[in-house]
Amino acid sequence: MAIAVLRFPGTNNEQDVIRILNSIPGADPYLVPSRLGASALREADGVVIPGGFSYGDYIRAGAVAAVGEVIEGVKSLAEEGRPILGICNGFQILTECGLLPGVLLPNNSARFVCKWVYLRVSEEPTMFTDGLENAVLRIPIAHAEGNYYCSPENRSMLHAHSRIPFRYCDEEGNVTPESNPNGSIDNIAAVVNEEGNVMGMMPHPERAARAALGSTDGLPILENFVRGTKC
Amino acid sequence: MIHIGHGRDPARPTLVPREEMTVRLIHEGKVKRVFSDPESDERLIVEFTDAITAGDGAKREVLKGKGEVACETTEFLFSYLEGKGIATHLIRRLEGTKLLCKKVSIFPIECVCRNVAAGSFARRYGLETGRPLSRPLVEFFLKDDELHDPMITMDAIVRLGMATQEELEFMRRVTLDVNYYLSELFRQVGLRLVDFKLEFGRTENGEILVADEISGDTMRVWDENRSSLDKDLFREDEGDVVQAYKRLLERIREANPEQVPIREETLLVHVMPKSGIKNPPGEVARKALVRLGYDEIVDVRMGKVFEIKVNTPVSPRLLARVEEMNRRLLANPIAENTRVRLE
Repeated sequence: MAIAVLRFPGTNNEQDVIRILNSIPGADPYLVPSRLGASALREADGVVIPGGFSYGDYIRAGAVAAVGEVIEGVKSLAEEGRPILGICNGFQILTECGLLPGVLLPNNSARFVCKWVYLRVSEEPTMFTDGLENAVLRIPIAHAEGNYYCSPENRSMLHAHSRIPFRYCDEEGNVTPESNPNGSIDNIAAVVNEEGNVMGMMPHPERAARAALGSTDGLPILENFVRGTKC
Repeated sequence: MIHIGHGRDPARPTLVPREEMTVRLIHEGKVKRVFSDPESDERLIVEFTDAITAGDGAKREVLKGKGEVACETTEFLFSYLEGKGIATHLIRRLEGTKLLCKKVSIFPIECVCRNVAAGSFARRYGLETGRPLSRPLVEFFLKDDELHDPMITMDAIVRLGMATQEELEFMRRVTLDVNYYLSELFRQVGLRLVDFKLEFGRTENGEILVADEISGDTMRVWDENRSSLDKDLFREDEGDVVQAYKRLLERIREANPEQVPIREETLLVHVMPKSGIKNPPGEVARKALVRLGYDEIVDVRMGKVFEIKVNTPVSPRLLARVEEMNRRLLANPIAENTRVRLE
């Protein structure tokens, strides 16, 4: 299936994502520089917005990319029910453009955080976590603005509708304040949209998808995404 | 020209009761009368009378033709300002002495802009009339004849609830814009804008427009010989006022509005984290300052300032567009507040 991997000026994870997608049977990733615009997404069965520092993250992380014309194409595909995955800066772009609720604020530490973390997978099934329910995954993060925040109304809504697939936890899977690396409310590491086909996540599954990288826990997430493009 | 108007409120019935279909006198001032517009309750008809007054109405005469020339001058200058992007209440001139205007409620404040010391400013500070000011100055006066239109500070206006700080900053800035565009136009034909008075009004949906009039009645204008072409002739009994107003209008009409260049304006947009939202950058700054020994510091919040230059005067339309910019890009409304400063 044709999977568009977006690259804005400043995106720097696109090759990692393409390489892992290429290893998944049935996935046919292709690079879409953002300047090509929404028309370059016409044939896409799904979209990945990889991490990096789009437009230098000036104004706010992801803010300038979120008003790019190519995002109109992402929104159309999202409306058609195509899977959209935003990783790190991609998550920030998805919140800034309104496809996902909330905002990613500067980390509580005010520092760039780059480390391995554990994620507790929600017990409620989502397209992206099929077969992973309740698992504890080990996947790295690398961000300065990963502090998820949303209005109290949206917070209740996200919980009530099981739209939080991943939460930061300790090695045993306990969601604790100590295991929260950035200050996110309720240790939120990822959210999905109401229809369940758009997910944003701060951790990098593509950096935990080969044994040589130290973990393969991220691979099933990308495999689930590829399966979703076939539906 | 930009369009400042707004559509009719769809919720409001277009039919008005028969007794309101006629022209009603709504307000009678010293030199103008304001009537309802039988065709729309969002418009007014302003009539310029031949009365002329000075000294808060202490001196009053009726001079034939004065209303018409004041009306014509106002129409000409408001249209010119609209053409440059400044929002006024003028819709169009109806007949000799009447202007069709957008309905506004007038702030009880006169905005006076001065380039040169004259009149009450020169008397107040004991200055020689004609002394140029280093930069244009805006002063506010309370419209109240009984109190003799006393000068009033911005703080007093805000405390007395006559206008908000933001509205005053807007009026002050537009007054300075009007000063630039009038001064440059007059300069072309050898005239000097000494000072002038503006009034502002607010439409029902909160837009602030330049209102009332701009004519020899509301300006001091000197020619090459420092002869007045304005109401000072009446104040000091020094000549035919109506003839002077007509000469003023004739000379202004010789200027070429297109040769007055658009001036760039700078706006500041302040973006701050909402209260209650953690602000790690501010917290880091606070800790570092305390480490440096500034132990009186209780809290530091860090935000951003955007200095935006535009090629149009400040207007309600521009402010609406800046609000849109804030919403679409400069701020994230979930976590940040914005404030537009027109210092």
